Amino acid sequence: MKKRLRIYWPFVNAGLQEVASYRVNWIFFMLGEALSCVVMYFIWSAVYHSGGGGVMNGFTMSQMIVYLVMIFLTRTLIDSDVSFTVGEEIRDGSIIMRMLKPVSYNATFLFHELGGKLPTTIALSGPMIIAVEIIRTVLDGTFQFSVGSLLLYIVSCVLAYLINFYFNICFGFAAFVIKYLWGANMMKNVLVGFFSGAVIPLSFLPEWLERVFLFLPFASLNYTPVMIYMGQYAGAEIVYFMGLQVFWVLFFCGLSKLLWKVSVKRLTVQGG
Amino acid sequence: MNTELKMITVDKLRKEFKKTVKEPGLKGSIKSLFRPKTEKVIAVQDISFEVGQGEILGFIGPNGAGKSTVIKMLTGILTPTAGSCTINGKNPTQNRRSYVKEIGVVFGQRTQLWWDLPLRETYSVLKEIYEVPEDSYKKRMDFLTEVLELDRFITSPVRTLSLGQRMRADIAASLLHSPKVLFLDEPTIGLDVVVKENIRRAIEHINRQEQTTVILTTHDLADIEQLSKRIVMIDKGVKVFDGTIASLKQQYGQIREMSFEADSPKAAAVLNYAEHFGLSEDNFSVEAEGKSVKVRFNSAAVPVSEMLSYTLGKISVSDISVKDADIEEIIRRLYEQGVEE
Repeated sequence: MKKRLRIYWPFVNAGLQEVASYRVNWIFFMLGEALSCVVMYFIWSAVYHSGGGGVMNGFTMSQMIVYLVMIFLTRTLIDSDVSFTVGEEIRDGSIIMRMLKPVSYNATFLFHELGGKLPTTIALSGPMIIAVEIIRTVLDGTFQFSVGSLLLYIVSCVLAYLINFYFNICFGFAAFVIKYLWGANMMKNVLVGFFSGAVIPLSFLPEWLERVFLFLPFASLNYTPVMIYMGQYAGAEIVYFMGLQVFWVLFFCGLSKLLWKVSVKRLTVQGG
Repeated sequence: MNTELKMITVDKLRKEFKKTVKEPGLKGSIKSLFRPKTEKVIAVQDISFEVGQGEILGFIGPNGAGKSTVIKMLTGILTPTAGSCTINGKNPTQNRRSYVKEIGVVFGQRTQLWWDLPLRETYSVLKEIYEVPEDSYKKRMDFLTEVLELDRFITSPVRTLSLGQRMRADIAASLLHSPKVLFLDEPTIGLDVVVKENIRRAIEHINRQEQTTVILTTHDLADIEQLSKRIVMIDKGVKVFDGTIASLKQQYGQIREMSFEADSPKAAAVLNYAEHFGLSEDNFSVEAEGKSVKVRFNSAAVPVSEMLSYTLGKISVSDISVKDADIEEIIRRLYEQGVEE
């Protein structure tokens, strides 16, 4: 384990330094995300006002706000660009330089991306959680923070990130077949956003549809961690949904290894 | 050099690709979207050769001959369609991670250096990846820094290096873990004469010092002439020559080049070699520029002495000389003739 850490630490480090050299890009990205969060707030407050306040599908207005902020935080934390990176490496052939190193192909990406996520995670998590707690206390008049929920949320986020990472690796390998991933990537992001509850809470959907969506891997990405943090799930439900998360991690991890084995055999290196 | 010991054995190596063929125009694009027509392309056709330990093999061929495909199969990136290659007793496509520890690879058109980091950082990353112990890493770095003259830019970020510096740095990176086999795919591409010379000297030095087996592909035949005794040449995926440079010259190198200053610009027309000796275009060519004339001919078809006495008997000349065709000339002829010969 220590040996592995020594081998992959440079990748974490490189990811960190890259973020440092593209700071401005990062700031604008965060601003854009925050802005879309504000837009969502106004849409939902209009919805609640026209509905005469009260509870909608299990969400009060204040819970809806907390949901929006937590979804924003979770999306940012578990975000993975790796399908794009993998797709590009396959497209321009630079994947071969990675294949010539005695390291695991997936692991280099994982640690590289983790390094890049470190600053975001540190800068964002604390303030956002505090903001959420202040909003809840002011709107509902009670202090609802729970250490247990926070810890479960963290574990659930780690699982969610791993699902997202391996899912994106699998998706990136599609570049072996379709060569250029940009369009497919856009479509994937929109669909995943919807399926994962990032646009509307899944409980707003018709019940049969909600059931289907809850089982799909995408709910495990955003919806599950946020619902756990908000205390919307009882004990048995937490066990079930986190178990489902573990299942999807293993599923996509296995699938990515399988796809790699198959695609490497039919690899044609583009560009000499 | 211990050529008895085979480091690399390539046996009937073959690679086929499926290529999608698109018909021209929008209609063709739509058609190929739904029912892509594919065509089988044979990039490498049953090539076999062996390389001894400590040998530097020049691997040459015109563009698109399949050189890079062979290199990619030898390094384990591509899986052969048929046939096999064994390097130091290992099959490259099996157990990739342990295999790549034994080889070093430089692709002249790509870099393995970490673009945004200072050069030194790349080496410390590689040290961890290849698990090179601290003390041998220090020794190795000293050696490589000296041979490849890295000290002037080792602290600069890689993106600021010139092409020549980058290439030297890349070669050092591929040698850090003391590989048994070094693959150099066009290591001197785009470099100036002085840098090329430096790189050749460094490769020679490392090969002599450490008995590293080297496979070198290049379009610069000076690389080959200086570094390797033996060449393998392929064209259109087929091996067309395998042997020493001396034997290449013997086999194809009956070409001589005679050049002289004639007394009048009409000398070439007056001499009319082709008709006099009954020479075909394969065996003969003449270039005249004002009074200076260059004649290339096959000395197997016309002995040098006859050529000289005929020329001297017909016109008066100054400054006549006859020399061996250099390897460049031979290769050029081979490329042009293709595999038919």
